[in-house]
Amino acid sequence: MEAVKTQDVGVNDLPWIIEYHADRCTMCGSCVASCSFNAIKVVMQKQSLTVSEASVPTPKHTHIARPIIKQVASLTDFCRGCGMCEKICPNNAIHPVRNPDQRRHLLAKDNGPLKRGGRTNLNAQRALDSIVVGRISQMTDPSLDAARHTFDIRAPFGRVLDSHELPFEIVDGKLVKKHRTPPVQWIYPLIFSDMSIGALSTRAWEAVALAVGYLNEKCGLPVRMSSGEGGMPVKLLESEYLKYFIIQIASGHFGWNRIIKAMPHMVTDPGGVLIKIGQGAKPGDGGLLPEAKVAEHVQAIRGVPKATLASPPNHQGLYSIEESVQKMHLSMNAAFGFRVPVAIKCAASATSVSVYNNLLRDPYKICGGFFIDGIQGGTGAANEISLDHTGHPVVSKIRDCYLAAVKQGRQGQIPLYGGGGIGMTGDAAADAFKMMCLGANGVFVGKVLIQLLGCVGNEQGRCNSCNTGKCPMGICSQDPRLVKRLDVDRGAQKIVDYVLTFDKELKKLMAPIGNSSLPIGRSDALVSTDKAVADRLGIQYVC
Amino acid sequence: MFKIETMKGHERMSTQDLLLAIEKAVKDGETEFEIAASGQHDIGGPLWNADGKTLHFHVTNAGQRVGSMCLPGTEIVVDESTSADVGWLNAGGLITVRGDAGDTAGHCSSGGRIYIGGRAGTRTGSLMKHDPLYEEPELWILKNVGSFSFEFMGGGRAVVCGWDSEAFDSVLGERPCVGMVGGVVYVRGPIDQLPGDVRPHALAQEDIDFLAGGMDKFLAAVGHEELAAELSDWSQWQKLVPLTQAEKKALPKPAGVAAFRRTEWVKGGIFSDVAHDDFAVHNTLSHGLYRLRVPSWDNAKYAAPCEFHCPTGIPTQRRLGLIRQGKLDEALQLELDYTPFPGSVCGSVCPNPCMDGCTRGTIDFPIQIGDLGYKSAFTPVAAPTEHTGKTVAVIGGGVAGLSAAWQLARKGHSVTVYDDAAHIGGKLEQVIPRGRLSHELLEAELKRIESVGVKFVSGCKVDRTKFAALQKENDAVIVATGGTKSRFFPWEGVEHLTMGLEYLKAINRGEKPATGKHVVVIGAGNSGMDTCRGAYEMGAETVVAVDVQKPAAFADEIAYIEGLGGKLVWPFFTNKITKEGVYANDGRFIPADQVIVSIGEEPVLDFLPDDERIQYFRKSWLVPDAQQAILPGVFTAGDTIKPGRLTDAIGSGRKAAWYADQYLRGTAEPFPEKQEIPAERLSKAYFDRCHFCDLGDPVDDHTRCVSCGTCRDCKMCLESCPEEAITRKENADGSWEYVSDPERCIGCGICAGVCPCGVWTIQPNPEKIPMYSTGQQA
Repeated sequence: MEAVKTQDVGVNDLPWIIEYHADRCTMCGSCVASCSFNAIKVVMQKQSLTVSEASVPTPKHTHIARPIIKQVASLTDFCRGCGMCEKICPNNAIHPVRNPDQRRHLLAKDNGPLKRGGRTNLNAQRALDSIVVGRISQMTDPSLDAARHTFDIRAPFGRVLDSHELPFEIVDGKLVKKHRTPPVQWIYPLIFSDMSIGALSTRAWEAVALAVGYLNEKCGLPVRMSSGEGGMPVKLLESEYLKYFIIQIASGHFGWNRIIKAMPHMVTDPGGVLIKIGQGAKPGDGGLLPEAKVAEHVQAIRGVPKATLASPPNHQGLYSIEESVQKMHLSMNAAFGFRVPVAIKCAASATSVSVYNNLLRDPYKICGGFFIDGIQGGTGAANEISLDHTGHPVVSKIRDCYLAAVKQGRQGQIPLYGGGGIGMTGDAAADAFKMMCLGANGVFVGKVLIQLLGCVGNEQGRCNSCNTGKCPMGICSQDPRLVKRLDVDRGAQKIVDYVLTFDKELKKLMAPIGNSSLPIGRSDALVSTDKAVADRLGIQYVC
Repeated sequence: MFKIETMKGHERMSTQDLLLAIEKAVKDGETEFEIAASGQHDIGGPLWNADGKTLHFHVTNAGQRVGSMCLPGTEIVVDESTSADVGWLNAGGLITVRGDAGDTAGHCSSGGRIYIGGRAGTRTGSLMKHDPLYEEPELWILKNVGSFSFEFMGGGRAVVCGWDSEAFDSVLGERPCVGMVGGVVYVRGPIDQLPGDVRPHALAQEDIDFLAGGMDKFLAAVGHEELAAELSDWSQWQKLVPLTQAEKKALPKPAGVAAFRRTEWVKGGIFSDVAHDDFAVHNTLSHGLYRLRVPSWDNAKYAAPCEFHCPTGIPTQRRLGLIRQGKLDEALQLELDYTPFPGSVCGSVCPNPCMDGCTRGTIDFPIQIGDLGYKSAFTPVAAPTEHTGKTVAVIGGGVAGLSAAWQLARKGHSVTVYDDAAHIGGKLEQVIPRGRLSHELLEAELKRIESVGVKFVSGCKVDRTKFAALQKENDAVIVATGGTKSRFFPWEGVEHLTMGLEYLKAINRGEKPATGKHVVVIGAGNSGMDTCRGAYEMGAETVVAVDVQKPAAFADEIAYIEGLGGKLVWPFFTNKITKEGVYANDGRFIPADQVIVSIGEEPVLDFLPDDERIQYFRKSWLVPDAQQAILPGVFTAGDTIKPGRLTDAIGSGRKAAWYADQYLRGTAEPFPEKQEIPAERLSKAYFDRCHFCDLGDPVDDHTRCVSCGTCRDCKMCLESCPEEAITRKENADGSWEYVSDPERCIGCGICAGVCPCGVWTIQPNPEKIPMYSTGQQA
């Protein structure tokens, strides 16, 4: 007789069920040894049977005990569906299966709000997926040949002045600038965004950085990477590659001691500064780095002990947009001699347009970019309630901001970058293209980068364990045992190859609409099969 | 000769009319055509003579697509320059343009020959093809071509002579040969950068033969025979050939990121100040340091449930382990290391909480631990060979005192037990009905206690004076006088009560105490049942036991009393006792002519000195310190601390003896106590259920024992380890251990999973890897 209470947690309460075929298993131990979540274990299973083999009832007792792999029925050590067991099993004897009847979200709240990584699992539907590039040059005007044509794929990063504001005069028949203008860099319209040292392992962060170095140096693509809010590696600060990196400052101000200390040793300016006000994945909830990931180097770079680190949801010293412009933008501009563009990143919100209008009105012309992060952005750790129930899709927000700027005749002056779910379906180029047609100058991606490194997490609840420090791929972990699983070169190469293809794919979309430069605001190129989306964005509805 | 002038004054003939006129003439057999065109398109094809004769066209002022879709047997000569698409889709004609050609000359041609005597425009030669059933198309150009030439070329040969093209950086324009997959372009002069999959080569003899063989005809056709020598310096030529698909596949990959990191990236990596990383990539599975988890062989780390639930602390799993090894004598001796009363208590009166906890009980039936204890009842032990010279006085000859005395004597101390009763043995001797405990057995076990050197002094009442003397004369004193005063509450009519303890003592002394016909016993615990049994034995006709709660006595004790006709009534809150019986607070009345109270006893400790260091609970029970001492050198055990079962008293005595021994030796080892093994560590699956009828001698239970927490040496781990990491090591004393080799182990935990005893543990690898640091100041 088994002693089970009805309220005991069972495997069927968990999000993934391990399907195990004992008949195929050789008990090599690989699956259990590789599982970083303690979700499976080895147990002895018995089969005691009384059978009858004679022609009349003749009880014959058999008993066998054999080792099997068994799923752990636990709300803490539960299977995340990462599939390492399946990947490593030589005999296809084990794999996780999604459980539609799971009750973990309901049952696991004994210790406060659930935490996890990844992106929203509830609001993963995207307006972008009902939009197609529908205005193709077909006899109306010559389309371009993506393979042969010269394309100008560059986006401004920095405050672009109105033409009548440009301080040019003619001296001795030559055009000269009367005084300095805000710094503007022309970069690739795909920014690697904000994953902190701490959220990522040293190897994962370096792999992304390495890909940036390679894309700039070897492929001629001026891709920029934002540091995230966990500071910057000192060796990178002191290297020539710093120019490809955008240093972030967020509400926790983590890592700035070493950034400032490195200033005298810098051999070049950074590519920019990004003031992070909020994050699309968890707007209003602040940063979160669980203690399990606060390893020695993270403690040192951030200047904190081993503890769970929560960044405040707001910058402690900022109370208004005006103050943010005055204090943060001015100081960050001043820090690098007004040579480096300073942009700001906010979570998409019902109020985004007001913020953008305010920034556009700034008489000092000190804001070099407005980054809007949508609800489908990823995160290393957050309260699940924030991930699934707060936020704002980015698409209509980019559109609204762009049109607000158009109304003032100021489009393009503060470059708009949109992110949050870009590349979610695998085609970041299509997402980027559509975003640009709606008014973005470029896009930023994060989740897709770590997915290229090997992350198997998705918006259908797979893995999403970035917060645990037990990332089976060694990407979101500071455990050397896991981190050393990650191949930096291979991961970086994967990102490089993806971006090179992104570049080709972007051209495959630019060519048919006949654009040889980025199609900013070319909403006429888009149509939507969703009437509501079409109406909201002001594009053609098609069916 | 078909000769036509397409302009008549200001009237221009349409392309359609011209082409229809030519077609009609061809059908009529005409082969010579002199066309004075005025921009008409598509002149020259597709046309053929029914008899296979050659059609000759001489065209002036043609429009686009001269010679498009031209068939073999058609020869076209255009004297001056012409417009776009010369020879478009040429399928075999010989087309000569003596001047320049427009854009896309030779576009898609797949047969015949096209001669251009000047320059050709953009996209010239694009999409040329070669159908293997027919000859290769040729496209000869005297000067240069515009940008994007030879795009997507799939076959044929193109010749760009580069004459009179010094003004151009590239005789092929910008970005030639994009998408070229077949054919050859011969070129003389500088060219723009080629795509990665088209390669320039020096001419081979076959190429020279081709060029030399065709050059004269070409130059003659375009009227430039004088250039033959100039254009025949083959060292000035190269040929452009696309890589085959196989060659493309075999192309070496670009050096890529890995090389970039090693040679150009920040040396040692951007984190090299804080992360000590060699960038080596580990397999998902590792041995040694990098295993996620490590096993450990935690033999006897945990108490088996029998051991844990035995207040005396007897590790029965070890006894059965010894029996399994054929060491029965050692097993019987092991029991005696824990208790002097394996027969009287374990085997007779103990409720055996060990068996309640026994894991085997969750499979079928518990190990027969009580009966196994009885096996040691008459086992002699050797007297201690070493003597410490220390003396200990034990006050109280009950199980607690005797347990302490037994332990201390076996450790070599001189122990004397003092008791006020005539016979040593406490409640075993004085209170437990003889029907439940054989007196001979008890006496044998008492003798065994004496056999290890314990002296008994009975009939000795210890008062304050005597206590002071004993304290002075001895190195340590154990106070184990137990509970000797029956407890009762201040009910109305308590003067009618008979004290249960005294009543039972009188019976065991053989005194036959006064007993009513109808007896009520207040208290239905085990001592209440003993009292009921005593009352029946003394002649009572009816006995009723009452209690405020569900009777706490063991089921077989209750069954025995009920078998005699006794009744148990509960809940019953006694309110008043009269000569007639007992009243409950709810008015119920049970008639009785004798009411015996048996709800427990409390100690009588009036012999202890007035010393504020001695702590009491409710002024009755002693509250010793963690070492069970109440004063320096004075320890206590058993019911003086709290009421308990006999096994509790034995365990308490053992613990007091432990600390007394430590005190006497001047050491401070804590009393060994273990946690109970968590049930989930055990693998019960190995054990098949047996039928109750199949239970054999308790000694044979070693086959049924799960050996919780203690290695049974079954070798399952050794045989199951997939990495063959586990070995068995035998020690000099005959003990053994299993060892997992870290360099072989992957941390899968199969050893822990298959271990029936829960000895192997798999746990997170505790060894720290010094990968990260804080870095160094610049």
